[in-house]
Amino acid sequence: MRTIDALRRSGVGIKPSQTIREAAELMEHTGVGSLAVVDGTRLTGIVTDRDLVRRGLARGLPLDARVDMVMSSPVITVDAEADLHDAFQSFRTHGVRRLAVVRDGEFTGMITVDDLLVDLADDLVGLSRPIDAEIHHAHRDGAVVAMT
Amino acid sequence: MHVAVGDRIVVKGHRIGQPDRDCEVIEVRGSDGGPPYIVRWGDTGHETLFFPGSDAAVQHFEHAR
Repeated sequence: MRTIDALRRSGVGIKPSQTIREAAELMEHTGVGSLAVVDGTRLTGIVTDRDLVRRGLARGLPLDARVDMVMSSPVITVDAEADLHDAFQSFRTHGVRRLAVVRDGEFTGMITVDDLLVDLADDLVGLSRPIDAEIHHAHRDGAVVAMT
Repeated sequence: MHVAVGDRIVVKGHRIGQPDRDCEVIEVRGSDGGPPYIVRWGDTGHETLFFPGSDAAVQHFEHAR
């Protein structure tokens, strides 16, 4: 499975020169927890709601401080065409919860541990269905045998 | 995804009770109608640099010919 195929959410971007207040408002209005900081078409960083609190509020930065003062950079990326296992590997290696997905070096979207966990949970539910049916309808096979 | 200025993009909600949201494409930054797009959200009027994912569906506006 390609990483791009596991991308569940749209990405939202912000310019480096915009303020941390604007970043917070964007997160609130668009329902995302992280923003891609994009200069033209170049991805320069990622800012999360946690960054706004720890690097902004906790350090007393004014609300009109530039968002690139609190962003994480350089960004850990995974190629859109890479196998999803490469993304898993990057999550393990770097200990992060979000990876920027890029294609030809340009930001495409954000993949998160949370999204992958939801997918895994769905897969597990699907896998457990035959077992679940066997437990709850264990006598069904017996009836078929009796008819032959 | 390929869109034109004036098209509408609908983004489905991710949590129970979270409504779908929609926005209007006001600028196409990518080549050949591709992302990213500058969009204006219908509910807030905010403008955002937007990279559509699988949660987003485009509704093409009937452009004048």
